[in-house]
Amino acid sequence: MSDRIFAAVWLVVCLLLMVVGWGIQSEFSYEPVGPRAYPMLLLGLMLACSLAMALRPGEKADWPEKPVLIRIVLMILALLVYALLFEPLGFALATALMSVAIGRLFEGKWLHCVVGGAGLGFGLFYFFDRLLDVPLPAGLIFG
Amino acid sequence: METFAQLGAGFAVALRVDNLIVALLGSFIGTVVGMLPGLGPINGVAILLPLAFALKLPPETALILLAAVYMGCEYGGRISSILLNVPGDAGAIMTALDGNPMAKNGQAGVALSISAWASFVGSTVAILGLILFAPLLANWSLAFGPAEYFALMVFAFACLAGMVGDKPLKTVLAALIGLFMAVVGVDANSGVYRFTFDSIHLSDGIQFISVVIGFFSVSEILLMLENTHRGGKLVKQTGRLIFNLKEFMSTLGTVMRSSIMGFFIGVLPGAGATVASAMAYMTTKRMHDKEGTFGKGDIRGVAAPEAANNASACGSFVPMLTLGIPGSGTTAVMVGALSLYNITPGPMLFTQQPEIVWGLIAALLLANIMLLVMNIPLVGVFSRMLSLPNFLLVPGIAAVSTVGVYAVHATSFDLVLMVVLGVFGYMLRKMHFPMSSLILGFVLGEMLEQNLRRALSISNGELSILFNSPITGGLWLMAIAMVTVPPLLRRRRRKQALAAQAAQV
Repeated sequence: MSDRIFAAVWLVVCLLLMVVGWGIQSEFSYEPVGPRAYPMLLLGLMLACSLAMALRPGEKADWPEKPVLIRIVLMILALLVYALLFEPLGFALATALMSVAIGRLFEGKWLHCVVGGAGLGFGLFYFFDRLLDVPLPAGLIFG
Repeated sequence: METFAQLGAGFAVALRVDNLIVALLGSFIGTVVGMLPGLGPINGVAILLPLAFALKLPPETALILLAAVYMGCEYGGRISSILLNVPGDAGAIMTALDGNPMAKNGQAGVALSISAWASFVGSTVAILGLILFAPLLANWSLAFGPAEYFALMVFAFACLAGMVGDKPLKTVLAALIGLFMAVVGVDANSGVYRFTFDSIHLSDGIQFISVVIGFFSVSEILLMLENTHRGGKLVKQTGRLIFNLKEFMSTLGTVMRSSIMGFFIGVLPGAGATVASAMAYMTTKRMHDKEGTFGKGDIRGVAAPEAANNASACGSFVPMLTLGIPGSGTTAVMVGALSLYNITPGPMLFTQQPEIVWGLIAALLLANIMLLVMNIPLVGVFSRMLSLPNFLLVPGIAAVSTVGVYAVHATSFDLVLMVVLGVFGYMLRKMHFPMSSLILGFVLGEMLEQNLRRALSISNGELSILFNSPITGGLWLMAIAMVTVPPLLRRRRRKQALAAQAAQV
């Protein structure tokens, strides 16, 4: 089933991209194949593959059970929030928070996660920013 | 003779203190990453690549680091296969079949040491093959024009579709998705923006590092969340720590044969360590399994796949260095790494920047010795790391990956893109799309388009240039054979199996 859904979604995506791609035009042309033909060829081939997949889907994907799925969604959210808070909060604090959140999802004890998270946040900040000279956002604490 | 002189120059590069340290570090990190279940060479190389770039390592040093990690992973995967019965990476799946039973019989030390030895021989044979064949191939491919390159890349994708097994449609679609992702951004020939949707962040194309980290680090930790409960039981290491002469002799032939086989499979574009170790194990089983000992702890069943997966890893450097066509997903990431340094691997590399090629080859030889030392006497240190809890490991991976992505452009956009691509990658992997094919497409995308357009410019739009020369024609024929023959063989084998079943009934 998921193969069919994916194929259908991809079909629509390809069609939309083809519409967008049709507008690609260069103002001058000195070569027989311009910038439009190749992406259109790829989209066409993808369209054919999606069609074939919709008609003959492969084996069933084993999606995780609901409780695991919820935790996966939570983890995606944690990573997104981490990406967004990375600059404003600074590396150390953002990493500590993310580590606690993800650590809890992996069934760590609260104390272990908090201590581990703080250690990771500050330890890695010191390691990368100060020791290895990879610039990281310092944020509120070190700023 | 010339080869020896160049290899000597290579050692001068590899023996520089910074390169030695990097090779040692890479070997160590590689072994750890390879050992940790879920993380394999492609993840390790993906996570370390942006860091190498951010640390401003010179290109040859960065390449040595990544290559040492790659080889180390092929060593490390066996540790968890043997002790935990959970393969540390895909190349070590076959090692678990006989390695874990051996460990349960109290022969963990023997299994670990013979597999480390087999890994060493596999790598050595393949590096010698690399030294022997790479300059020849590079010389020959100097004559390649755009049309030949185009046909060669088609052949690489055909290998992938034919070898990666029973899902040719998904392999092709994954490669196409990768190829299309490479189109996004400004077109080098005309300066036109393609599929950027007026975003400045996309005008330079989809960032390679966000793609690699998203697909191979973020999606990996999402998968790890699913498997939290599936931990095997760690077998305590008991018995002899090292194999004896009799065991050594009984595996020698198997190891040599598997190494040579692994090397040639590795050279084929697209077919990596997984295919090599499976084929080596099957062949060895067919030849030696007369008493039905395979699967119950036969030492040859441990040696064969380990020799083959290391040999294929080193073998996959051959097409990468000589043709610029990566032989595996991991080397595809390395080609991307080189392009960050504005270096295009290929035949010109041998003449223009020999210090990179030969420095890498010499470093592989040194790292191989370091790995043997690390993996026989020090194996206990590594096996203790298997008890590292996930609630520390996973946030650590997430943080280090994010540092890598951020270090390249310092924008939050790339971080969000990394997460989004990670979720996309997770879904693709759940639906069994081969990710190595996607990354190969993404890395080769620009080259494929450029060569196609250049060839057609030469012929003024005449399509026949793509298959009219002897080389292009041969490559197309080989490509067709690659897609058609393996499925036919599979079908025949299935029919035979069915017939045998029917005969038994």
